[in-house]
Formats: sequence, C-alpha cells, structure tokens
Amino acid sequence: MDEKKAAILGEIPRLRRYARSLLRDRDAADDLVQDCLERALVRLDNWQTGESPRRWLFTIMHHLFIDQMRKVNRRGEAAMLPLEAGEAVAQPAEQMESIASREIVDALQAISPDRRAALVMVAIEGFSYAEAANILGVPAGTLMSRIARGREELRGLLDDTARRRAIRIVEK
Amino acid sequence: MIRRDFSERDIHMALDGELPGDERAAYDAWLDANPEMKARSARFTADRAALRAAFADVLDEAVPGHLHKVVLGEVPVKAAVPRSRWWLAAAAAVLLAVGGLGGYFAGIDGIGQEDPAEDRLAEQAIAAHVIYAAEKRHAVEVPASDKDHLQTWLSNRIGLNLVAPDLTADGFQLVGGRLLPAGESKAAMLLYEDGNGQRISLFVTTESTENAKGTYAAAQDGPEAVYWLDKGYGCAVVGSLPRERLAEVARSAYTQLVNGLAS
Repeated sequence: MDEKKAAILGEIPRLRRYARSLLRDRDAADDLVQDCLERALVRLDNWQTGESPRRWLFTIMHHLFIDQMRKVNRRGEAAMLPLEAGEAVAQPAEQMESIASREIVDALQAISPDRRAALVMVAIEGFSYAEAANILGVPAGTLMSRIARGREELRGLLDDTARRRAIRIVEK
Repeated sequence: MIRRDFSERDIHMALDGELPGDERAAYDAWLDANPEMKARSARFTADRAALRAAFADVLDEAVPGHLHKVVLGEVPVKAAVPRSRWWLAAAAAVLLAVGGLGGYFAGIDGIGQEDPAEDRLAEQAIAAHVIYAAEKRHAVEVPASDKDHLQTWLSNRIGLNLVAPDLTADGFQLVGGRLLPAGESKAAMLLYEDGNGQRISLFVTTESTENAKGTYAAAQDGPEAVYWLDKGYGCAVVGSLPRERLAEVARSAYTQLVNGLAS
C-alpha cells in the first residue's frame, strides 16, 4: 500500500467525527465520509507532497458538505425534502447516553451550517484559527465571527432547553 | 504588563488558544474584574467540554469496512454523485429545531442580526394571527364556501399559484382567507379551525430573500410560527398548538403548498 493511501486511512476516524458533528445521523455521516474519500482518490495527484493529509481531506469534505447544503437550499422543490428527512433524523440518535450529551448534539444541529462547521473545526477538531479559515475558505475575521455567534447561539439553545425542562418539571 | 481593553472576542480567542501568551496575565486579571464575563467564559468552556465529550467515542469506533475498501480501491469509484442520504440529513438539520428543541427564538443578543428576513416573516405572520384568529365574525374576507374564488383572487394578488392545503387529516377545516400587507409586498392569510374552535393560520408571501433558509420561531408567551423562506416565497404556519402538533400540521401544509406552487 502506498504512503498516500496509508495516510488517508489514518484520517478516517477524524473525518467520521467531523461528519458526525455536521450531520448527527451516523449513516448519513459515513456517506459523507465515503463521498469525501472517493473524491480524494480521484484527485490523489492534486495532493501536494508535504501538505497535511488532514487539512487536505477536511477541505474536500467541507466543500462537499457546503456545496450540497447550498444546492438543497437553492432548489425550490428540495425545500420539501427536509420535511421528510426530518422525520427520520428526529428519531432519538443511537449511542447518545446522557441527556446533556443529546441536548448539545441537538443544539449543534440547530445552528447554521456555516457556524456549526467553524465551531466544530476549532472546538472539537482542534484546528487553529488560521488552519480552520484556510480549510473553510473564509477570512480569519469571518471565521472568528462565526465561532463567536455559533457559541452564543448554542448557549442560547441550551439555556432555552433547560428552561423548558424546568417548566415541565414544575407542571408535573 | 500589556495594557489594552479586552472584550468578549477575547473570551473566544483565549478559549481557542489564540490569545498571545504575553496578554494572558492581563486577560486573566480582566476576567477576574468582570464577573459577568468570567461567568460567560465558564459557560463556553463547559459547552466545549460537553461538545468534545459528545463526539469523543466516534474516534474509538471501528471504521466501517466499506470505507477502508474505498481507499484501497477495492470498490469501483463512481463519478462524484453525492449519495442522497447525507445531504437529506443535512437539510433536515434545519428542521430539527421543530422536532427536537423547538421554542427557540433567534432574538437573543447578537443572534439573528444576519437573518432579519425570517424574523420579519414570522413577526408579520404572528401579528396577523393574533389579530384575525381572535375575530369571530370578521376573521376572513372570503369564506371557505367560496374556496375557488378565494384561491384565484389571492393567487392573482400575491402573484403565485396558491392552493389552500387540505388539513382535514390533521383535524382542521378551512375557514377562509384574506389579503394582507407584508412589508412592501402582499401576503395571503388562510385561516383554519379544528373541532374545538382552535385556530391556526397560514401566511404566504412572495417577499423573500435570495438566500433560502428554513427555520423555526416562537414568541415567548404567544402563538408560535413554523416558517420557511425560499427564493421567491415565504410561508409561516402560526398557532398555539403543542409544538409537535404544530410541526406536524405545518409539514403537511407546506408540502401541499409547494405542490400547489408547481401545479
């Protein structure tokens, strides 16, 4: 097996984690990873020697994710699709043991894709601002604003969930 | 010691390891002197820990065999046609707010400023609902008994093919509709009622931004709106139903509305 392929294999767990945080649903996330890997293999020659495989692969996956989100939003007829798919995805996700964990995963899905990607890239995947801005293809200032807004929005959603839970308990 | 004013922006930078090392001491002192900022920093720190914990197990999962095979070239690589499942899920994420979290109004500090169009649509729809759904005799201009005329008239006025959704499966009968101002444009309002006199309304407008977006809004104590914006039209379903029920009715109404637009 050549070095490039070995390096790609080594990145799969990280790619799966990133995809899972973007999409939540396990099968959907693995489909995104598969699309990413297929595209990477087709473009293997574009991968510059010395370029980090992680950065290269994350860039490919992010483009796939964002392009598709935009297409879905642009097409009028596609506006119905989320309604149907929503039913499937709204099922309790497997392997989310604690309520706190499920709540934060739900909240993450509720923030805009751009903010979600920026926040996850830095807060979970541990990329620096410069690396994340490069992968996402945005200026550092935009990245920072997405991270800040993403964090505030996430906190707002969690506060809201907590408040609702408190109300439900009082009502009982 | 570095002397400069710190702001909330620095909380994010510090958390993300982007604060220059020589500013750290001054930043910590600033945090100590600002309990509100310190509390905010603590919340963000806890949220990050929770996020990391929620996805930590993924790294330990066995990688599905087919992903290995793709890399090793053991399955034929097709043209880059995205598999449908993941982007459906991506689109569905927008709707999760309806099914899962709900009730979050994008009006808290610093949020929602980028997307005023949705807020405007939801606010107009809620305002119309509050005023007209409460009316006993003057709720609508054209009653459901004159449904064909209602549809033709509203379609002509707002400029799209409006078909009043049939919500009888959800327990709602069409009461009628009316024409309303919506910003600089017009909107159609369709009112429905269930057997208990509970009312919901559909608010459809052609005033919509280029950037299509779907989301959900709820006023604190009043009726809630489930709404969508697409290029060329926006739609909100407003009512004081339990959240799941409202989302269900909205889903059914929206599907029929979109089908109607295309017919």
